[in-house]
Amino acid sequence: MDLFNYLGIGFSVALQPENLLYCFIGVFVGTLIGVLPGIGPVGAMSLLLPSTFKATPEAAIIMLAGIYYGAMYGGSTTSILVNIPGEAASVVTCLDGYQMARQGRAGPALGIAAFGSFIAGTIAVLGLMLVAPPLASFALKFGPPEYFTLMVLGLTILIYLAHGSMPKALIMAGFGLVLGLVGLDTMSALPRFTFNQMELLDGVGLVPIVMGVFGVSEVLLNIEQIVRRDILKTNIKGLMPTAQDWKACNGPIARGSILGFFLGVLPGGGAVISSFVSYALEKRLSKHPERFGKGAIEGVAGPEAANNAATGGAFIPLMTLGIPPNVIMAMLLGAFMIHGVTPGPLMMKQHPDLFWGVIVSMYVGNLMLLILNLPLISIWVQILKVPYKVLFPLIILFCLVGVYSVNNTVFDIYIMLIFGIIGYLMKKFDYEGAPMILAFVLGPMMENNLRKSLIMSQGDFSVFFTRPLAAASLIIALLLLLSPLIPWFSKKRAEIPKEED
Amino acid sequence: MAKKATKVMIWLAALAVYAGGALAAAAADFPSKPITLIVPWAAGGSTDTCMRVLADNANKYLGQPVVVENKPGGGGTVGPATMVATAKPDGYTLSQIPMGVFRLPHTLKTTWDPLKDFTWVIQLTGYTYGIVVKSDAPWKTLKELLDYAKANPGKVTYATPGVGVMQHVTMEKLAKKEGISWIHVPQKGGIEVISATMGGHVMVGAETSGWAPQVASGDLRLLAIWTEERSKNWPDVPTLKELGYDIVASSPFGIAGPKDMDPKVVAILHDAFKKAMDEPSFQKVLNDFYMVPAYKNSKDYADSANEMFLEEKQNAEILGLKKQ
Repeated sequence: MDLFNYLGIGFSVALQPENLLYCFIGVFVGTLIGVLPGIGPVGAMSLLLPSTFKATPEAAIIMLAGIYYGAMYGGSTTSILVNIPGEAASVVTCLDGYQMARQGRAGPALGIAAFGSFIAGTIAVLGLMLVAPPLASFALKFGPPEYFTLMVLGLTILIYLAHGSMPKALIMAGFGLVLGLVGLDTMSALPRFTFNQMELLDGVGLVPIVMGVFGVSEVLLNIEQIVRRDILKTNIKGLMPTAQDWKACNGPIARGSILGFFLGVLPGGGAVISSFVSYALEKRLSKHPERFGKGAIEGVAGPEAANNAATGGAFIPLMTLGIPPNVIMAMLLGAFMIHGVTPGPLMMKQHPDLFWGVIVSMYVGNLMLLILNLPLISIWVQILKVPYKVLFPLIILFCLVGVYSVNNTVFDIYIMLIFGIIGYLMKKFDYEGAPMILAFVLGPMMENNLRKSLIMSQGDFSVFFTRPLAAASLIIALLLLLSPLIPWFSKKRAEIPKEED
Repeated sequence: MAKKATKVMIWLAALAVYAGGALAAAAADFPSKPITLIVPWAAGGSTDTCMRVLADNANKYLGQPVVVENKPGGGGTVGPATMVATAKPDGYTLSQIPMGVFRLPHTLKTTWDPLKDFTWVIQLTGYTYGIVVKSDAPWKTLKELLDYAKANPGKVTYATPGVGVMQHVTMEKLAKKEGISWIHVPQKGGIEVISATMGGHVMVGAETSGWAPQVASGDLRLLAIWTEERSKNWPDVPTLKELGYDIVASSPFGIAGPKDMDPKVVAILHDAFKKAMDEPSFQKVLNDFYMVPAYKNSKDYADSANEMFLEEKQNAEILGLKKQ
């Protein structure tokens, strides 16, 4: 049993006092930056990267990885408490998490997010050990046609995020798609909607938009509605999820973990996509889909599990192929190389202690996160008691600092403020932010892969039907679109807007 | 009347002496505060890492910290453009200058003029580019690949990190020379080039040394590199030059400040960065990321900047990207 040998090596590395300390620093810093809106793991990792130059490669990678999954863990906290996602992957958590908090159930929401993340993290680490190599080569089979059809499926699923008016959700998705067009066209290098602003050549940043639409707008909205505050203040009920909560969340956590893990392996936004696919899935499977968007605990548990499992999945292409699936993994690639280790197909053979040490440390780190976070819940909940006149300026301050720190440009602050006003108007007129953000993330990937597919097939559209993986995504999307025609499905969908009145 | 004029003259002379003295003094005790070095890329990449090591080393020779400030955007041009527009030419604000600074003015309306807006300090290093195919591809040499492409027009697909970049230009130069027509599939960044090539979604990949791990593991085959000389990392792989093409491409980069910097300050900065370059730590990081040293002093860098600007104009014409 090679696996146990390897696990033994892994534990012997991960449990060395020095590595344990680095792991703790990593998850602690990660949790902190996850909680602060706007300051993401990329910024924190790049700041701390130079401080690892003198450490051993194991310690350095363990710490940087800790920041990454720690941030995913912490990102849900502000989503739930103040409706500002600490992380793009936590956008979906706002939908039901914040509603739970308003009903005095912030504790259980934070609790289920912590436990769900822990369970998902553990499943992802197990998956990493068992199926990493075969899964990595499978992910390579995903060419442009497969990605394109996956994005089609993703946009179809967007519909399930809407819990109010469908036309309004579609308008928002359309707005998101258009926003995604801004910048240099990757196929012709021509600028689109850039108005001769160099800052717009790379498109509008995700962080300023998310901070504006969710953060600034929330503050603006609350300024005029002081009364609502009482709901939060009066009844903060039990801090831990109840037995009933657990029963409701078993399925969502299990499904979210598996979903997140597999989507995490795919390049580009795995954590974001998996969190909302999980939400849509749970809403679809629920006997009471009308509760979603109004404080359904499943709507927190599923996506939180999914985005954490995705962070585990994201390590697979990096550690087995040397191909980082997202920006954060690209930074880790840099960190590996500085320490003289080249991640890739040979890493498992050449550096088994590093490979397995990092994997096992992720398990240890997840445990640390749980122990660290459970006592913190009671402290986080206290944030809700901070007077708004103190809390709001602080939130704005964190948003400003966070947005500036991503690219060090004032331009992003303007973008955030503009989207703060747009987000305020959206909320006033009952337009939701989530479909817009997700369309904004998916749109450019969809366009890029469609055009690449057609270049490669010389304009022949049949590539989307003749390749099995691509065809499968399209068929699922089609079934979802046709589902309203089937009576049983349409009854469920109809219940949602009805409840809204 | 005449007296008054003399008085003014004296005042002016005094002022000139004072100003000159201040200037000399400024150069003499330069630097008296930390220097900002703009790196127009996100933190953590290969270029950023190199610049951070360099900045760290330069600290020793300047007696002041060199603070790296990441200002990504516009394909690495927002950083230098911001410097040109806002920084004083006092030597306390510098920027790493990537190839895009010379390329974009030919294809877009830009706010800077590479020939007028910069004071060139030092050229540092360049990248190792190469052409890779999947290891089970039938082509063992570049010649076999090019022969196949010539015999099968419009059939070979190749990936680069985007339209107009050095990888794209060089592949089209090769095609022009050999009378090949092949299909360019622009990707979003170098990592996609590697995965598209490994996954068999394109037949050929042209990229900087990002393919090194896969070449080491035998998943990709490196057919040729574009440096001046063979690399000691892949001693068996020929350069384009050896194969009979007069093409050397490394997209060298260096450091510049805003226009009209005091030559004395430039000299101080140049000397410190030169020493910082020669330190083993910088040589090691270059080696780790497979970069090639391409040192040029301030004057040679300025000349080379002019040449690169003209070359990029021709490249934009070759690719049909020249702005109207």
